[in-house]
Amino acid sequence: MFYRENGQFKTSYKSDQQIFPIPQDRWAIFAIIAFAFFAIPFMVDEYLFRAILIPFLILSLAALGVNILVGYCGQITLGAGAFMAVGAYAAYNFLIRVSGMPALGAILLGGFTAAAVGIVFGIPSLRVRGLYLAVATLAAQFFWDWAFLRVKWFTNDASSGSVSVADIDVFGWIVNTPTDKYLFCLGTLVVFSFMAKNLVRGNMGRQWMAIRDMDVAATVIGIRPLYAKLSAFAVSSFYLGVAGALWGMINLGSWEPAAFSIDRSFQLLFMVIIGGLGAIAGSFFGAAFIVILPIFLNQILPVIGGLFGLEVSIALVSHVEIMIFGALIVFFLIVEPHGIARLWSTGREKLRLWPFPH
Amino acid sequence: MSGRKIGEVILDLKNISLSFGGVKALQNISFDVREHEIRAIIGPNGAGKSSMLNVINGVYRPQEGDIILRGVHHANMDSYGAAKAGLARTFQNIALFKGMSVLDNIMTGRNLKMKANMLQQAIWFGVAQREELAHRLKVEEIIDFLEIQHIRKTPVGRLPYGLQKRVDLARALAMEPQILLLDEPMAGMNVEEKQDMCRFILDVNDQFGTTVVLIEHDMGVVMDISDRVVVLDYGKKIGDGTPDEVRANPDVISAYLGASH
Amino acid sequence: MAFFLETLLGGLMSGMLYSLVALGFVLIFKASGVFNFAQGAMVLFAALSMARFSEWIPQWLGIDNLFMANVLAFAVSILVMFAVAWLVERLVLRHLVNQEGATLLMATLGIAYVLDGVGQTVFGSGIYKIDVGMPKEPVMMLESVFEGGILINKEDFVAAFISALLVVALSIFFQKTSTGRALRAVADDHQAAQSIGIPLNRIWVIVWCVAGITALVAGVIWGSKLGAQFSLSTVALRALPVVILGGLTSVPGAIIGGLIIGVGEKLSEVYLGPYVGGGIEIWFAYMLALVFLLFRPQGLFGEKIIDRV
Repeated sequence: MFYRENGQFKTSYKSDQQIFPIPQDRWAIFAIIAFAFFAIPFMVDEYLFRAILIPFLILSLAALGVNILVGYCGQITLGAGAFMAVGAYAAYNFLIRVSGMPALGAILLGGFTAAAVGIVFGIPSLRVRGLYLAVATLAAQFFWDWAFLRVKWFTNDASSGSVSVADIDVFGWIVNTPTDKYLFCLGTLVVFSFMAKNLVRGNMGRQWMAIRDMDVAATVIGIRPLYAKLSAFAVSSFYLGVAGALWGMINLGSWEPAAFSIDRSFQLLFMVIIGGLGAIAGSFFGAAFIVILPIFLNQILPVIGGLFGLEVSIALVSHVEIMIFGALIVFFLIVEPHGIARLWSTGREKLRLWPFPH
Repeated sequence: MSGRKIGEVILDLKNISLSFGGVKALQNISFDVREHEIRAIIGPNGAGKSSMLNVINGVYRPQEGDIILRGVHHANMDSYGAAKAGLARTFQNIALFKGMSVLDNIMTGRNLKMKANMLQQAIWFGVAQREELAHRLKVEEIIDFLEIQHIRKTPVGRLPYGLQKRVDLARALAMEPQILLLDEPMAGMNVEEKQDMCRFILDVNDQFGTTVVLIEHDMGVVMDISDRVVVLDYGKKIGDGTPDEVRANPDVISAYLGASH
Repeated sequence: MAFFLETLLGGLMSGMLYSLVALGFVLIFKASGVFNFAQGAMVLFAALSMARFSEWIPQWLGIDNLFMANVLAFAVSILVMFAVAWLVERLVLRHLVNQEGATLLMATLGIAYVLDGVGQTVFGSGIYKIDVGMPKEPVMMLESVFEGGILINKEDFVAAFISALLVVALSIFFQKTSTGRALRAVADDHQAAQSIGIPLNRIWVIVWCVAGITALVAGVIWGSKLGAQFSLSTVALRALPVVILGGLTSVPGAIIGGLIIGVGEKLSEVYLGPYVGGGIEIWFAYMLALVFLLFRPQGLFGEKIIDRV
């Protein structure tokens, strides 16, 4: 079957406004989701789940959150990790302090708490833009880094400073094997991705993008910057909060504030730049790239070093890794500011017209 | 002209003064706009025309003066309030949302009329979908009206200048405004594009009964399509009246020709 | 009272160092509109270069004189920073002319990562000593005024003095020389400056060179205090609130902002810290800047921004 729209005619605006207007896209997406749910659990081993798949799913969710704020609403943030931390610690506290709190409820409440905190730290965005705002979001990062390290209440007076949770229970399903964890994260990601896609293609998303592209013109047609920006902060922080809760409670099991440090914030920002600002799919591309690259380098660098008779230490690999990250960021900003997602859609565009490009 | 009837004063500007630091952009300017009319603001560069529009729809706050819109005083108009009150505008330097398609740009003009909350939008099916479709129909009417069907899905950044101006107008029309403010809608256009734009402005005024306030440099156009003209020079009003009256006004002539008083 | 004064002076002196790093930010922002997140990485890079060359040069040349080794290492480090400036302009900035501020900011984040990576690969990732003969012993002052006098770290004092000297030198460079004038012209309006024949690319290289020198001085001072090590790159993160407070485009703003943040940090840590568990220095500075932003978005000395439609 060709990737072609010949003979497909849309007879109503409704069919033109579907989430994936091209049928081939629709089937491809559903096939991928079905494959992820029903085939992958039988195909991969535990290492792959732990090292790649689960981190990829959770970081994709976090990248979605960052992309909503940075890519769609144009408000740069360097404090994404802080909102993950808020989500994780809030979920933890809801779980242990409220008796009978279901795990799913705690995770969602973690998200809502992060959303509330996000709104508070989004307030400066009403007064300041771009660079200044980036610094304001750093304030959130450093404040919460400190709070979860020094304020004992948040960690339930844990003497080591790290907190841990038991395997979570979702309506009687104990999520403890890597496969369970994978399926739970996958389900969450699928639901939240569709919701994000719906938001950005509707009125809300148009308001965000309007503020991003030309804020004065946006206010003139009746978009309130207050509402548009703070809602972007809220939704973005909600996604980050849920991702943080999953990262802590499912991926790590026990964690310290360092899991959500400023490096995490930068990493998330890099994901959306490399993956594609303002594209939902970009969040997945970016997350996949950043999860896989270090593992790939760990494998390949010693081999390359071996060819030249050099010993490649672990420290060297990590230095090369950050160098490559940095260089890639610059590369993408210069060559393809819309990231992998744009390369992907350009490729598709070509395919639609192939073999007659005109 | 057609059968439209010019009505009562709907927008009354009284003693507007605006300054930035020491620069007096507008000094004590008063004029009114009647329902259904086409009102032009003209003047040499730097006369304060754009500032005047910015005051009307609340982008700038004047230090002094009063804006009376349908009998309601707005000493402190803000952009959101102006949009709610039925004012729409286009921009001198096109201010489209360049990352979005033509369709999405025009759809943003409907944002005030869309009521689905965030959760409904996230779920999409149901309220949000119905609403999106209803407004899409309205937007398609405007697209037909302005003859831009073929570029519906094109990102606005890729469009030539003349079409961008048309999309800018479409976005303003999507608000179904009572008063439409146009900031140099024909600047930089060739003759054909100008003729098209004139036709659209007259049609909007005629078919929808929309009141139009426009700034324009092309005197031929202004004299042809407007009912009344205000002339500004260095932030002061130097003339007001029908095109013929303004043409005969000696102050206006000297301002344009640079002759001494 | 003596204790308060001691804290205050300590704050002022560390504030002077913040000013120095902030100055690097301001210089680059003024001349190229780039908010240089890599300033911290440059401090680290310069410090590592200084530390390692002062160790390597005596080995290579077989000289035994510490002073000579330091002078040579300093000279080599200046060249290294110039090379960095040139490469940044060649490989990055040149291709991002007229991009939005946020894009440029992210690009400098990328540069920071590259510099961190390269620096640690070439110079190593340990803690290295920089010994430029800074006095280490504390001195007592004003013993006649207060009982017991106030204790001052001589090293801090020298550091503050050097920073002040550099700030003055830079101000003169900016105000009095023709290159300085060209820099200011570029800062005001890229295109206008270009149209009267000021070579934009060369100006950018010069600014980044100057920023490299401030990074080197800051790196040497900090490095001799704490050792040249990876944590130096966070110095930039601590200097960011300074720039916000002072205004991105103002040299005096950077200096006064630095002093305010330095003093604010020390006072808050000493008087507020014990009640909330300590360690509040870093976020306190950010919060201070944040609250300030809400009331004066352009900073203390920044220019007011007017939207044009």
